[in-house]
Amino acid sequence: MKRYILNRIIQLIPILVGITLFSFLLMNIGSTDAVDVIESNTGGAMSALEKSQLRAELGLDKSLMEQYVVWLSNVLRGNMGTSFISSKPVMPMFLSKLPATIYLAFTSILLTLMISIPMGIFAAVKQNKFSDYLIRFLCFSGNALPNFFVSLLLIYFFAIKLKLFPVMGNNAGFKSVILPALTLTIAMASKYTRMIRTTVLEELNKDYVQGARARGIHERKILFFSVLKASMLTIVTLVGLSMGSLLGGTAIVESIFMWDGAGKMAIDAIIMRDYPVIQAYVIWMAIIYIMINLFTDIIYHYLDPRIRLGQEHE
Amino acid sequence: MKSKHLLKRVSTVLLAVVSIALLVVGCSSSEAKGNSSENQTGEVDTKIAEEKIFTYGDTTFNAENDEANVNPHNGYAGWACIRYGIGETLFKYSDTMALEPWLATEYKNVDENTWMITLKDDVTFSSGRKLDAAAVKACIEDLVAVHKRASGDLKIQEIIADGQVLTIKTTSPVPALMNYLSDPYGCIIDMEAGITEDGNVSGTGPYIATKVETDKGVTLIKNKNYWNGTPKLDTIYVKTISNGDTLTMAMQSGELDGAYGLPYASLPLLSNEPYSISSVATSRSFFGQINYKTEALQDANVRAAIAGAIDKESFTKVLLNGNGTAAVGPFPASFAFGDSTVKAQPYDLEASKDLLSKSGWTDTDGDGYVDKNGEKLTIRWLTYPSRQELPLLAESVQASMKKIGIDVVVNCTANSKDVLTSGDWDIYASAFVCAPTGDPEYFFTTHCLDTSTKNRGGYHNDELEALEKQMSLSFDDAERERLATQMTQILLDDNGFIFASHLKMSIVSGKGVTGLVAHPCDYYVITADLDKN
Repeated sequence: MKRYILNRIIQLIPILVGITLFSFLLMNIGSTDAVDVIESNTGGAMSALEKSQLRAELGLDKSLMEQYVVWLSNVLRGNMGTSFISSKPVMPMFLSKLPATIYLAFTSILLTLMISIPMGIFAAVKQNKFSDYLIRFLCFSGNALPNFFVSLLLIYFFAIKLKLFPVMGNNAGFKSVILPALTLTIAMASKYTRMIRTTVLEELNKDYVQGARARGIHERKILFFSVLKASMLTIVTLVGLSMGSLLGGTAIVESIFMWDGAGKMAIDAIIMRDYPVIQAYVIWMAIIYIMINLFTDIIYHYLDPRIRLGQEHE
Repeated sequence: MKSKHLLKRVSTVLLAVVSIALLVVGCSSSEAKGNSSENQTGEVDTKIAEEKIFTYGDTTFNAENDEANVNPHNGYAGWACIRYGIGETLFKYSDTMALEPWLATEYKNVDENTWMITLKDDVTFSSGRKLDAAAVKACIEDLVAVHKRASGDLKIQEIIADGQVLTIKTTSPVPALMNYLSDPYGCIIDMEAGITEDGNVSGTGPYIATKVETDKGVTLIKNKNYWNGTPKLDTIYVKTISNGDTLTMAMQSGELDGAYGLPYASLPLLSNEPYSISSVATSRSFFGQINYKTEALQDANVRAAIAGAIDKESFTKVLLNGNGTAAVGPFPASFAFGDSTVKAQPYDLEASKDLLSKSGWTDTDGDGYVDKNGEKLTIRWLTYPSRQELPLLAESVQASMKKIGIDVVVNCTANSKDVLTSGDWDIYASAFVCAPTGDPEYFFTTHCLDTSTKNRGGYHNDELEALEKQMSLSFDDAERERLATQMTQILLDDNGFIFASHLKMSIVSGKGVTGLVAHPCDYYVITADLDKN
């Protein structure tokens, strides 16, 4: 097990180099750079001399590969650089955004599981009954509504009309996480419920369930001790995938609820061509996905010991 | 057996987590009901009884806008410093954008390169230090040392401090020096108190910043020793809200007492009691620049036809919901050299059609578009989406031009700079603050001369170049205004620039708020007059 985890962590190195180099090249395809964006956003007019001085200050006058190598060597020494836009060190700036993102991600996942597991099982058990149709209709609706629209609806009813929760996040304690988390939950729970329903239905039609029923085992016992356990693989896969994207930040929701997280920061950095921040974000995303995949594989192994870790490499 | 235990454990943990979560949600809901007063931020609620608290939402306080803190010597952060009542300048602008004393009582132009400024005697910084010439000298010296735009504008050679009299010597004549010193970067701060790591400063304004958080906001408290009256609010929370819908809904929910930067579409929602809107035309103008490399646009008749076919009134009244004023030139009518002093091509579709036909552009194939030598007249209209007015202007122009037979192909892209570089455009529409310091010279030097960095279309006029040379040496305000009017008229006669509208800046006040008034310069917002009852 230890060897397997170590191998996966070592794999991070070429992946990180590849991803950061690729994103560095992509960012520089356009003919505008951070200096042009700074000029345009400040509404002022900079002379060619001022622009070239600023480019030199930011190291943008060097060749692309030189810029990349300088950045990489700094990162290896623990220095992620300074933001071109705010002139603040990237590392503390980035780290300050993570708690809000992690808090929102975990709250959303928790709410999603609380809603989707019972709903999915219930819909499967009541297949083709009214409650199944109702749940499926709600799932379709939840999937069809875009996040920004759901968030505006929630704000309208719960913040403006009922005044239960604040519009703006994260300064009113637990109250402020409810609406952004619910926005994310509605879309995720709709997807999860459908998947869980399908998986449970599949399991219910399997021979071991028929056998258990024939032996007179109580339906509820079959459902919770056999079917749900078998469905856990699907749930873990879904959670793994969602966790990756949630921990990368949810720019639209963060922007609407003024949730000061990593997603909004990444979008702002991309718009502003703030390369050091973008690169920090790329590293974070790569680490997140690799680590979550690793955890998912380990959980798979515990849930179903037939799945052997590292099998794909043998 | 093992898996049974595991499942049991998982279910127990899941049940416990669900119960705790439900408990917390339940508690927070009841708590929210209990506290459903106007403000829902915990920090604010507890203080309501004792203090006068004002919460203000603003779209502009962020690093993206080069306002990362309130240090006026950092980029455009001076705007935050002056807007939030932290800092003040030596002179300020009246409602007609004329200079009037603020921290200074008067100035004297000793010779072309020497200015003598007398300071008020009863002003203190929030640090407690008295404002004198030595303090102003230290502040301006730091400004020109670290702020490129300021050092380029002010061209300072030497500053001499003597009691309350400050003498500034410039390396070359700077007729607009007092205007430049009234720019937000000219906020006078106490350099002895210094600039904190988070970019906080000690100014002379009615409020003192106690917490500065980039992209999040500023917390202000009353400056009890303010020299020019008593600030009426105890605490002000300035919150950065970049999303227009969030800003609107935070106003509606009562979380905010005032807001700046609301989308036009939201203003009707807040136009009735208990809200009030203060609006004013600013010098931020929306205009098109002609690309003189495009052969068809080298023809003066074609340029005039285009200028005369843009329905500016309908654009501002209908598409902008009245949140803009139709422009004649770059400066709004509130300026002495503004729109009321110049004339542009009037809106007249028939006249535009005649002008086109005079140049040989007629619809020979009956497809609704004019053509010449078998080629249709197509204009590539380049603009960008970050200013909500620009895509609307593009649509309006597209519809208007169709009426005179010109096919307008709109390219609205965030990558407009790339397209400008490539040259694949005919008219470039953009937004620009044409007179940020109330002086006209800035617009001409940035856009209209051979040396201008933003003269993207290659506009040139010998007479205008000569008049600009005169302006750069003229210290007489009346003369500068006369020259500005003359130069604007040349631009309009050439139709090298087509001005569509001036932005109307709006600030919304919530229930019981007084003293939140929009100003044409756009940077006096929180003042000692601001109150909430």
